[in-house]
Amino acid sequence: MNPIQSFKPLALAAALCAAAIGAGCAGGDPVANRTEGKTPAIIGIPSDSVEKFGGQAGIDVWVDDLFYYILADNRINTIFTTHGHVQRQMALNKELENMVMGGPAHYSGASMSAAHAELGLTLTQFNAVVEDAYLACDAARTPYHVCNQLIAALAPFERVIVSR
Amino acid sequence: MKGSRGSKLPFKRVAAVLAMAASCVGGSAHAGWFDYNDGKVFLTEGVSMADGAAGGGAVPWAVIAGNETRDGINGNVHFTYVSLPNYSALIPGAAIGFFDRFELSAAYAILPTGSTFDTVGLVNSVISGSSTSSTIGGVEPWNTTIKMQIYGAKVRVFGEAIYDSDNWIPQVAVGGFYKINQNKALLETLGANKSKDFEAYVAATKIFFPISTAIDITARYTAANEIGLTGFGGPNGDSRKVRFEGSLAYLLAKNIAIGGEYQQHGNNLGGHSVNLGTSSLTSVTNTLAALGLNGASTALTQQHESSWADIFAAYAPAKNLSFTMAMLDFGNITFTPNQIGFYLSVAASF
Repeated sequence: MNPIQSFKPLALAAALCAAAIGAGCAGGDPVANRTEGKTPAIIGIPSDSVEKFGGQAGIDVWVDDLFYYILADNRINTIFTTHGHVQRQMALNKELENMVMGGPAHYSGASMSAAHAELGLTLTQFNAVVEDAYLACDAARTPYHVCNQLIAALAPFERVIVSR
Repeated sequence: MKGSRGSKLPFKRVAAVLAMAASCVGGSAHAGWFDYNDGKVFLTEGVSMADGAAGGGAVPWAVIAGNETRDGINGNVHFTYVSLPNYSALIPGAAIGFFDRFELSAAYAILPTGSTFDTVGLVNSVISGSSTSSTIGGVEPWNTTIKMQIYGAKVRVFGEAIYDSDNWIPQVAVGGFYKINQNKALLETLGANKSKDFEAYVAATKIFFPISTAIDITARYTAANEIGLTGFGGPNGDSRKVRFEGSLAYLLAKNIAIGGEYQQHGNNLGGHSVNLGTSSLTSVTNTLAALGLNGASTALTQQHESSWADIFAAYAPAKNLSFTMAMLDFGNITFTPNQIGFYLSVAASF
């Protein structure tokens, strides 16, 4: 997004916001629901983020660490073990994380809203995964500022993963 | 039991109404009227600002106090200590956050003024003929202490500070404070127009993850002198005006932030001398001159009130405990220039 476009009058921002909320409620948020391409984060995710993460191999290690922490997290682990297949979720996440940071991977899973529609997830549970994501960065010795590129890339999915 | 019913019921009813209102806004059903929740991510509740609301050190932000998400209720208690060359401040407070939507806060500012008003106190002593018990003009001969109650409320209106990383819409909240300064006589001595007043503000907050930075911009509609510690309004102006303040925080780690703040102040009292009850200062100049206090009239002229600035570091060793240290530059406060000092604040949430 062009940074110059950011400084719009507040009224227009409010209208845009209302539109965004409307789209979110309809489950058709085109940005958060995309299945291809880099996340269009404001200010922008640096082009070397995948490389800083250690390429696909580094992302793979991070996802392994993430699921280690998720499965050890009694707040949320049963959601992951009772819905779907953990190995498949890990494989899809390895594609997704690469894609949203601007890497070449092709994400072969369902849209985020379709994948989470039936789960009735709360923001509290979503935040627990975010905490585990930072723990996975620590475990993989991924620097905090590099970790934040991935957080920026995944953050908009909150709108379609969490049930309103 | 019967005696306490009368006082407890209204509170419970108010709390239930608040919880219902908040859950309507949140759009989801809740099991009871108290839905404990501590689901916020590290430091995303901000810290506790001087007036007791969630924010930076001096600036209220659009974030809601407590560790709760939209799924429940949380709150914090906090304590702030400020040390300046001529003043110190002790500010205990507490805040409750409802569904990450609505916040109530209360704080009590205790401001020992050290030697600042000793000259006024001595003049009072001269006028009253007592060396120990003069309270003319609300000023004790030694170490007058200013006390102020601060009640706040804030509602998050729209926007998502953390997760909407793909748009520029900030999280926006509106809020207000009602401040009751208990040193009415001293405020009259200083020339302030009011000892109690409200302030209203609009705050916009956004985290930019690609640059690990959080920014807040707040506009406050206020007539406060030194956030109300020296009253509201004065000879230079009594009306509330919009003043700007802002915070910039760089996230060093998931539980450490460093940054700076700016808060615009007015100048309602600057250039004015003190009013000593019915006697104007000039009428006692001869008395003062006889005591060798020829310069008293100059010494008791208030300086141009400075805007506040600070640089800070906030550290959260656990998700529900944060320490904030800051270096302050508050400039001129009443008679005293160069108020550079430090700030230490601790906040615990539940």
